[in-house]
Amino acid sequence: MVAAVRSFLQVASTEEAAPPLRVVQIEGLAVLKIIKHCKEFSPALVTGQLLGLDVGSVLEVTNCFPYPIREADDEIEAEGADYQLEMMRCLREVNVDNNTVGWYQSTLLGSYQRVELIETFMNYQENIRRSVCIIYDPSRSNQGVLALKALKLSDSFMDLYRNNNFTGEKLREKNLSWVDIFEEIPIKVSNSALISAFMTELEADSPVTQCDYDRLQLSSGPFVERNMEFLIECMDDLFVEQQKFQYHYRNLSRQQAQQQAWLQKRRTENMARKAAGEEPLPEEDPSNPIFKPIPEPSRLESFLVTNQIANYCNQINGVSGQSFSRLYLMKALHED
Amino acid sequence: MASKFWTQGGSDTEEESSDYDSENEDLNQIDDAAQTAGNRYLTVNASDSDDSDTQKRVVRSAKDKRFEEMLVTVDQMKNAMKINDWVSLQESFDKINKQLEKVMRVMESDKAPTVYIKALVMLEDFLAEAMANKDAKKKMSSSNAKALNSMKQKLKKNNKQYEELINKYREHPESEEEPEDEEEEEDEETDDSEIEDPTKLDISDQEGVSEADEPDGQESGWMRQMTKKDNLLAKQFRDPKEATWEKVNKWFKEVVAARGKKGTGRYEQVEQLTFLSQVAKTPAQKVEILFSVISAQFDVNPGLSGHMPISVWKKCVQNMHVVLDILMQYSNILVNDSVEPDENESEKGPEYTGTIRIWGNLVAFLERIDVEFFKSLQCIDPHTREYVERLRDEPLFLVLAQNVQGYLERSGDLRAASKVALRRVELIYYKPQEVYDAMKKLAEQSADNEEGTGEESKVPDEGRAPTMFIVTPELVPRKPTFPENSRTLMDTLVSLIYKNGDERTKARAMLCDIYHHALFDEFSTSRDLLLMSHLQENVQLMDISTQILFNRAMAQLGLCAFRVGLIAEGHGCLSELYSGGRVRELLAQGISQSRYHEKTPEQERLERRRQMPYHMHINLELLEAVQLICAMLLEVPNMAANTHDVKRKVISKNFCRLLEVSERQTFTGPPENVRDHVMAATRALTKGDHESAFNAIKSLDAWKLLKDKDSVLEMIRANIKEEALRTYLFTYSSSYDSLSLDELTKMFDLSEVQVRSLVSKMMVKEELHASWDQPTRSIVFHEIEHTRLQALAFQFTDKLSILTDSNERALEARIGGGGLELPVRRRENQDYVGATGGAGRWPDGGPSFNQGRQGSSEGRSGYGGGRASGMSQGGGYARDRSGQARGGGYSSQVSRGSQMDGSGRMVSLNRGHRA
Repeated sequence: MVAAVRSFLQVASTEEAAPPLRVVQIEGLAVLKIIKHCKEFSPALVTGQLLGLDVGSVLEVTNCFPYPIREADDEIEAEGADYQLEMMRCLREVNVDNNTVGWYQSTLLGSYQRVELIETFMNYQENIRRSVCIIYDPSRSNQGVLALKALKLSDSFMDLYRNNNFTGEKLREKNLSWVDIFEEIPIKVSNSALISAFMTELEADSPVTQCDYDRLQLSSGPFVERNMEFLIECMDDLFVEQQKFQYHYRNLSRQQAQQQAWLQKRRTENMARKAAGEEPLPEEDPSNPIFKPIPEPSRLESFLVTNQIANYCNQINGVSGQSFSRLYLMKALHED
Repeated sequence: MASKFWTQGGSDTEEESSDYDSENEDLNQIDDAAQTAGNRYLTVNASDSDDSDTQKRVVRSAKDKRFEEMLVTVDQMKNAMKINDWVSLQESFDKINKQLEKVMRVMESDKAPTVYIKALVMLEDFLAEAMANKDAKKKMSSSNAKALNSMKQKLKKNNKQYEELINKYREHPESEEEPEDEEEEEDEETDDSEIEDPTKLDISDQEGVSEADEPDGQESGWMRQMTKKDNLLAKQFRDPKEATWEKVNKWFKEVVAARGKKGTGRYEQVEQLTFLSQVAKTPAQKVEILFSVISAQFDVNPGLSGHMPISVWKKCVQNMHVVLDILMQYSNILVNDSVEPDENESEKGPEYTGTIRIWGNLVAFLERIDVEFFKSLQCIDPHTREYVERLRDEPLFLVLAQNVQGYLERSGDLRAASKVALRRVELIYYKPQEVYDAMKKLAEQSADNEEGTGEESKVPDEGRAPTMFIVTPELVPRKPTFPENSRTLMDTLVSLIYKNGDERTKARAMLCDIYHHALFDEFSTSRDLLLMSHLQENVQLMDISTQILFNRAMAQLGLCAFRVGLIAEGHGCLSELYSGGRVRELLAQGISQSRYHEKTPEQERLERRRQMPYHMHINLELLEAVQLICAMLLEVPNMAANTHDVKRKVISKNFCRLLEVSERQTFTGPPENVRDHVMAATRALTKGDHESAFNAIKSLDAWKLLKDKDSVLEMIRANIKEEALRTYLFTYSSSYDSLSLDELTKMFDLSEVQVRSLVSKMMVKEELHASWDQPTRSIVFHEIEHTRLQALAFQFTDKLSILTDSNERALEARIGGGGLELPVRRRENQDYVGATGGAGRWPDGGPSFNQGRQGSSEGRSGYGGGRASGMSQGGGYARDRSGQARGGGYSSQVSRGSQMDGSGRMVSLNRGHRA
């Protein structure tokens, strides 16, 4: 059975190497399941598996199942893997798509850009060439937005990550900036015609829904405050990163000075030797510790932090923009 | 010479001789002449050593005592011999050898006394006997036998030295005093010749003026301690007419060559040289010899720690005067230490008109004299009369310095003159006008006296010393001239130094000048001098004594600022001194004991040598009081303004520490020391109780040291009132909705205008969120609370500015390639960030991710409670930075505070508020 899956995957991969992933098409059922799962556990962060099909430039997500809340323990993690396999087996038995296409996870105010996410992505990438991560933010959804995002890592970033060299030089070479780590893929929610029809049937007569009311909520304070807090945290992180770099540069300049001094010494020594008719000593001495290159600290973390900051800023911008409109609206209403 | 003391009466009974108590040191030579009797007593005493009657003795000379001790030891030896106890005999033998050394030293003879020789002979005989008696030897205990053997060897060795004397004694056991007598006679002869020789008498008649009326034991002591060589010298020149230049020169060379050699008595050398200077043939030679005399006088005290005997010091000053006299008279004599002069330069007589070069350095001599004066003041206990007496010698030195300076100026050596001027400045700068006047009066008085006595003594002088070849009239004035005002004196001296001095001289003169101005309450002048000279920046690079002078000047400047009512400036000057708790050490007014850091004896000695003499001290109690009061007046309102702020800026760490300690006490008694008083005042002031605060301050003892105590106290009272009002408003404004102006004026005893201006100032600076309500004449308070979002926004801007700042630096480091200065500057800035920025908790270098996060969240929770004040944070930050760039820490603070008197105050207050 496994062999069959693999062969299918292989076929899929050879077939669809050319067209890039354009859109994620997600079934209404899957969306609802994700929302339900994430919202129920809201302050805690949860994850689950996405199942579906990879069709050309479209990645179809047809179903999903949640992972039980994990605790950081090896044993339980192994259990988690068992659970995953077992679940997929069961689903296949009821004839549901049991093809893993990625995972979903909930987040708090969009604070998902972490190294762990990238690691998970890389893990998935090993088995499944096209995998996505769907991120759902319950707290944002409270404001009447469907905060659903599909992400994947950019190819160039993955290359770099595999070689694990995030030095300034390499990054420049690849022309990779912090924006290019993640790629967001548009999500398209699709339902079968039958379901659509049923939904229309169900639709109430009133022109507004709960979602619309949510959208009119005036209090944006807590949300902005939380964002600010996170921003401050990010600043701290960024500062720490910067310190690392400063430290590095200080070391580097010190080493260069040492190297210069050593070279100077060696040259004068060589001059003396030459004068004495001896063979000059080599000017490079790899065994000397001062010539050992100092490893440059990775820029991954600072890139991620920058991403995170951009994310928070966007959120604050968005929310405050909307809040302003709402406030104007309210003002107009009051005046009436 | 020792025999002199044993000759009185020449009696043969012990009782009489032991009662002999006139052994005081000031026996005159004339007395000596009368005592020509032989020294019989010595032997009698030695042969019969019964000390049963020693109890009767009341006064004994050192020589007597030593002899007595020796006799006792001989007795012990005898006893030991009787019981055949070699162990104790050996001990006694060691003891007697030690005593012998002492006796020899006291008696100034190189011959062992007969008592000792006799004991040796006795011992030798006994030893031979014991060795011969084999049986007895066998019976001895092992320790005894051992002692016997070692004794045998020791004695053998020891006796070799005195072989001759022992043999002599063996030959004539009873008449061994003969050789001594002979010797005595010889001595006596020379003594006689001394008296006969007129030149010998006025060995010191040149200086006799002052010396005659100074019965100084030491002096006459070494007068008499002349060696034979001295006498020979005297004989040589018995007829001064015979003395030629060559002869004098030869002797001079010989004496000088003996300098520093072992066995050359220091006093003797001074004597010999002094004598030579009397017989010098040419003025140049006289100067040359006098220079050597002065050098020899400096040599009299060998150690670095002790000081030169005062009498020698005075003679030294006199000698310098004589040198100056000669140099004045014969202006063709040049003194120089750079060229090696011709051997026979000094042969040229007074009629020679060309330049004569003499080796010597007047400035160095003068400086050395000053140093010795300083050292003597350091060593003498300041609470004795001796100290006061010593202080009276100061005018002597000042005259000399004045004369030397005048001479140098005339000869055109302005650089050296400025050095001398500095010495004078350093003796004057610390004197307030009253002390200066007193010194002036004293100098005039003593000069008058001296003139009077001088006239008298001069007449016999001339009669007695017809042999003086080079009679030098007293050309240079012996009387100091002081201008009416010490300021004028300082000004003339200091301007000379500024024009001609080298770096160090100028810096020191500048510091003295600053100190002196500050002493006269001219704060702005001295502050300007301090700022213009840029001494603050480079004083760290100077020598320690200059640094001490700098500290003293700062302390005085602080006191001055306080007296004229500039509290913030005063605090700025003094806080540094008190920050380390080492104020004694910094001002060199005592040695502070450090508990943690043991000083090496070497360090301690150095420190002891740096100490200021007592009369130059700045009163520490007053200084501490001033410092604490300044700190109190600044810190109490500051504390009240930022009670809830965890990160508030502390103005005076020292003060806060003291306050904490005093607050920890469960029970506070009535104030005893300065600190207690200020703490009591602080407690009252924090409640806004200005009256009890002032009373606590007023009861300090230190105020009586101030010249215009009343006006200073009035100033303090006014300041306390104002600060009490401010503190009250800070502390209790939240309890009021409004406060009437009348109420405030009544509460704080201030005029309406004052209250209005103070409160308005606080409003303008956003320290007080309130506004005036004119119709009701009251202050209306506003309650202002930031929302959480606002608070967060402030915090965020804070972090952002730090981040951009460090980013800039990182960029600089990258572009600049990281030179040598860069790390330094970076570190400085980092300190700054740590001190003022909100992120003091950021660990430096390689911190872990988590730590940073924890720190920041802590910071946040702390922040919620605090009240930050608007965008001024960012602005204040930038402003601070520019201030910081101007210079390091303390110096910039002071300079800033004083450069912009009005605005400086504002900046610092603003900072306090913001932090």
